[in-house]
Amino acid sequence: MATQITSDLQENIRNFEALFSDCEDIKKRKIKVGEHFGKECYIAYIEVALSNVDWKDSAVGKLLEKLRSLPEQELTDYVKENVGGISDAQPFGTLEDAAQGMLTGDVLFFLDGYHKALKIPDKGYPGRGVYETESEKVIRGSNEGFSESVKLNTALIRKRLRSPHVKVKETFVGRRTNTNVDLVYLKDLIYPGMLEEMERRLKEFEIDGTLDSGIIEQLTEKRKYSPFPQFQTTQRPDRAAMAILEGRIVLLSDNSPVALILPATYNTFIQTSDDYYSRWEIASFTRALRYLASFLAMIFPGLYLAMTNFHTQILPTDLLLSLAASREGVPFPAMVEVILMEIAFELLREAGVRLPGANGNTIGIVGGLIIGQAAVDANIVSPIVVIVVALTALCSFAVPNEEFATAFRILKFLFIFLCGSMGFFGFLAGVLAVLIHLSHLESFGIPYLAPFVGADLNGYQDERDTFLRLPLEFLKKRPVYTRQGARTRLRMERGKEKE
Amino acid sequence: MFADNWKISLRQIRRLLILDLFGMSSLMLPRIFSSMKGADGIFCLFLGGAGGMALLWLMGANLKRIEKDYYHYMKNTAGEFLGDVFMAFYFLYFVTLSGYVLYQLTTLVLSWLLPDGSWLGVSLLLLLLGVYGSIQGIEGRARVYEIIFWFLGIPLLIMLFFAAGDVNPSYWTPIVASHGSSLLEGSVAVLIFLLPITALLFLIPYCRAPKKMAACAKSSLFVVIFVNLVIYLILLGIFGTNTMGVLSRPVITLMGMIKLPGGFFTRQDVLMTAVWFFALFALLNTGIFQGTLLIKELLQRPQNRWCVWATAVLVFFIAKGFFEHSFLEDVFQRYQIWVALPGMFLILLILLAAHKVRTGKRVREGGSS
Repeated sequence: MATQITSDLQENIRNFEALFSDCEDIKKRKIKVGEHFGKECYIAYIEVALSNVDWKDSAVGKLLEKLRSLPEQELTDYVKENVGGISDAQPFGTLEDAAQGMLTGDVLFFLDGYHKALKIPDKGYPGRGVYETESEKVIRGSNEGFSESVKLNTALIRKRLRSPHVKVKETFVGRRTNTNVDLVYLKDLIYPGMLEEMERRLKEFEIDGTLDSGIIEQLTEKRKYSPFPQFQTTQRPDRAAMAILEGRIVLLSDNSPVALILPATYNTFIQTSDDYYSRWEIASFTRALRYLASFLAMIFPGLYLAMTNFHTQILPTDLLLSLAASREGVPFPAMVEVILMEIAFELLREAGVRLPGANGNTIGIVGGLIIGQAAVDANIVSPIVVIVVALTALCSFAVPNEEFATAFRILKFLFIFLCGSMGFFGFLAGVLAVLIHLSHLESFGIPYLAPFVGADLNGYQDERDTFLRLPLEFLKKRPVYTRQGARTRLRMERGKEKE
Repeated sequence: MFADNWKISLRQIRRLLILDLFGMSSLMLPRIFSSMKGADGIFCLFLGGAGGMALLWLMGANLKRIEKDYYHYMKNTAGEFLGDVFMAFYFLYFVTLSGYVLYQLTTLVLSWLLPDGSWLGVSLLLLLLGVYGSIQGIEGRARVYEIIFWFLGIPLLIMLFFAAGDVNPSYWTPIVASHGSSLLEGSVAVLIFLLPITALLFLIPYCRAPKKMAACAKSSLFVVIFVNLVIYLILLGIFGTNTMGVLSRPVITLMGMIKLPGGFFTRQDVLMTAVWFFALFALLNTGIFQGTLLIKELLQRPQNRWCVWATAVLVFFIAKGFFEHSFLEDVFQRYQIWVALPGMFLILLILLAAHKVRTGKRVREGGSS
């Protein structure tokens, strides 16, 4: 049951200190205010969340200074009527709500004779600020990246979308972490029911804590056993803003620099921000390359096995002889050889990720050059397999989204097994199984393979932004997941065009 | 939201029908036509195509009268008992067709892709994939074929384009030299390969624009006849009737012979088998899907999840029968000619007539009252 805050400051202090007993990081101070220091107030805050250096310049510092200059009998009225002027100051009627307010990183203020507690904003928890993103690098465009503060991240989106139609719906997830989760969207563009569906999914579970958006992603996904992610992730505010402009919803979670975007399709995972900043020719070329890369990242080692072990008649004789010569002396069957190299590569990748920056790069070089060369010299693997594995790795790196690329990395092993044991039939069966799976996969009701399927729903307009990214003047319509009737995003005035 | 509404577009239906009809016909018709003189298979394609159009006309006439779905239409029009008999007929057709397609697909895989493979392993894997595809529902199925359509179509057209250069037109002669009975047999064979188009009747509840379905099927039929015509003429122009008659799958043999200019691969037959692999799989999937829907309706268990497995088991044993007893192929051929083909026309005619009688009766009763 909630504890009401009363006008009796001593009682409030007793209750508050009982609630936060043994919390040495929470600083609590009694301060005398009024022109004769005849009235008492009480402030509480998390140690690092209040600026000690610029105390006088902080909102709470200024408030205390003002309260020291007023007669004691006017203090309560002043607080009641004027403190609302401090930005984001918020009164709480119960101790639990007030405590929760303080835990967001603000200062809690109690005044004797006032039956509410005020949350007064200050610098809040320490954070990284705005930094360059480590992933999703672009050649052209902003380099700002999301940080761990949900408020900062929301502001980074708002900075790019200065429209009153941009709405931010706040909710809290996690019984103990009480993590702030913001759903950001353009009210007039989102498809009816999509926001409600996401809110419903957020309410479907109760968890002790969510420390990253990844936990929310896994708990709200519909097809949990699919290797393919059903939310797009991004660390780039411009990518998030672009998604919002397409009628999608961005979910920001406190303490996570990774935003979730919904709905997501195969096509959206392949798109990058600079696809739209660069000229259409180069954007189309790189887009097509990424599509090819996503497919090859999954099938290339398997296809190599099918061709060299089962269907040698396809390959020219010279190439076949050269392949056979390169395998001379290798004691393992080709399938084992490929699996060994793939596992070695995955180990290198994992080690590179876990090690600190410079060491991680070293591992890549040591693994790639030295171990690869040594393995070939020792006749453990053939040079062609090193080339196949390296090309597959390059393909997986070319997929712009890490989670999406991981799906292909996992499926690659399935294809190695299928093609290694059944040749091209295994390959076809694998492609068919993946295709059937993908064709049924959906993200918030949107087919995963859209707009390659169901393109008629938006008059075949979405197909203009798939393998090829046609010139911007052809991309007049927003994608199918935008609300009907709000799909025009570009109008060209013919007169101006001629000029 | 959009998906999961169990509705598919006309483009999806068109592509689904084209793949359903194309696979078996292009694989088997050239060999059947090889018994004729010259290029008389063309006339069979035209006559069979005309028969297909007649079937489509009958289907279109019935489609206009269907209010809810084909099952209810059959029962409401021809009565409960006849309705059930018709459904059992369709069930038998689709299940035996699936069994035959599974047998053909497995044979194709074992002949061209996995000569040392086990029949059981390959057929079970294919069947599992077929069941997996059917469980995903009509939308999932339609999307698969919508997406792979051009991935299969473009390489096929390129290969046919390059093959056309090696055609010897003298192999096309003489024309109109075959016996009438041969022409009739060939035409009936064409029509039999077009019979899976009747699956359209069951797609009404799933189509976003049911009124345009007949026109959509007509265009699919034209495409299939045209592609078969091109393939036949190229095969005939390259192999001649005698060689074509001894090849088990002339069209795939052709794919292995085509030399692409500047091509890297020495032979493309293995790669091009993918076209028929996916096309035959589409038909297998259609058979399992329709069979499952029909058995659910017959047993009046629309939510029963085991029906798909029951259909799959039946399909497997039928395919096994074909594999183990070669005479069953002949039995199946006779069944198609003497039961399935006339049955399809007859059912549609009975339904049309019964509907007219019932409507007339209702009008008369309305007038007299």
